[in-house]
Amino acid sequence: MDDATLSEAAGAPVRVLSRTLLSGGAIQQNWLLEVERDGTPEDWVLRTDNAATLAVSLTRPEEFALLRAAHAAGAPVPEPLFDGKHDGKPFFVMRRVRGIANPVALGKQVGPGGDATLVRECGRALRRIHAIQPPRPDLSFLGEPPADPALAFVAAMEKRLDEAGTPRPVLEWGLAAMRRHAPPPLPPVLLHRDFRNGNLMVEQSRLTGVLDWEFCSWGDRHEDLGWFCAPCWRFAHRHLEAGGLGPREAFLEGYGPGVDAARLPYWELAATIRWAVIAADQGARFLSGVERSLELALTGHIVPALEMDILRQVEGLDAGTT
Amino acid sequence: MLERPDAGELIEAARETVLNSLLAALPREKHYEARMVANALAIAGRSLNATVPAHDIARLANTLRHNEPVPGSAAYAETRAALEEIARARCAVSAPKAL
Repeated sequence: MDDATLSEAAGAPVRVLSRTLLSGGAIQQNWLLEVERDGTPEDWVLRTDNAATLAVSLTRPEEFALLRAAHAAGAPVPEPLFDGKHDGKPFFVMRRVRGIANPVALGKQVGPGGDATLVRECGRALRRIHAIQPPRPDLSFLGEPPADPALAFVAAMEKRLDEAGTPRPVLEWGLAAMRRHAPPPLPPVLLHRDFRNGNLMVEQSRLTGVLDWEFCSWGDRHEDLGWFCAPCWRFAHRHLEAGGLGPREAFLEGYGPGVDAARLPYWELAATIRWAVIAADQGARFLSGVERSLELALTGHIVPALEMDILRQVEGLDAGTT
Repeated sequence: MLERPDAGELIEAARETVLNSLLAALPREKHYEARMVANALAIAGRSLNATVPAHDIARLANTLRHNEPVPGSAAYAETRAALEEIARARCAVSAPKAL
């Protein structure tokens, strides 16, 4: 992207000193830009669409609007700067946040003892995000909140399984348990829907930025809490129930009031099912020939391990314990 | 008779070459890909000896969607056992560490 395009979008003269393609992001391209804006050096991240866009993810302008809402709500997110279009493709620019997001590196950093301070901050960040509640004209693209988030979730997963066309009885077993145990609806809040170890930029014990806002929707706050705590996102430290990063109690304490801990096992099961559906879809994308990526091929092979989790989680729900 | 080493033996040799020889010679940013190659070969190797449980997967999925067994019933226990057998067989190939 040339200096003129960026200058016009930024509303100030911009000179790009260096650009580096950052790792990660199957759906988007993220570029690290070292620039001078009005002669002042700044580090930016430019986010634009990758070749393989997912129909289920939000567009760049929508993601930019969410980032602005979250920033205004005081959540730790990269500061959104401006958006624009280049060659017909929308992009936006945010300020670079420092830290590491790689879950393996982060797991090593916190060690088997975990980091209570960090997960407390994660709880606080999620609370700020959930303070964003409908109606919000600036987020109208999210549509109406579901009347019953749990049953809407089950219906959405069933639809995706039907579209994929591969029968998956263990996932159906999990969805049947979700229908049986569906909790009564709560007032809807903004869900990040991918708030987990891997999408959190961390510097020492400080959460510097929540990344990847393309899956947001309205729903039950416990869906985000369950996604963060689900066994599949704990990586090397399965015993650290808050994202493999720290104790669950510290995470919930950071979140504060409004949590019904009894709802978490339900939404942790939902998390495992949803990740299994996504992983299966990624494997199918490889098989369809659309994208010949070994990473996609191997992601499909994560599904059986998630099925083992689902069997255990359903057992816990049906027994009334976990 | 086919010549040996057979498929499984060749896959294992290829995997050892990736991990024990190529990996150290690759730049750091290619290590992830090399490990993925080794992982793919390991899965392929395990799939050669895999046993697939005799269950009608499509019928099972359909029953669970439209007529799920009630917890505590005999049908529930039977279904649970069948699903565990299926998941274990699949996991033995894709992710044996999760067993």
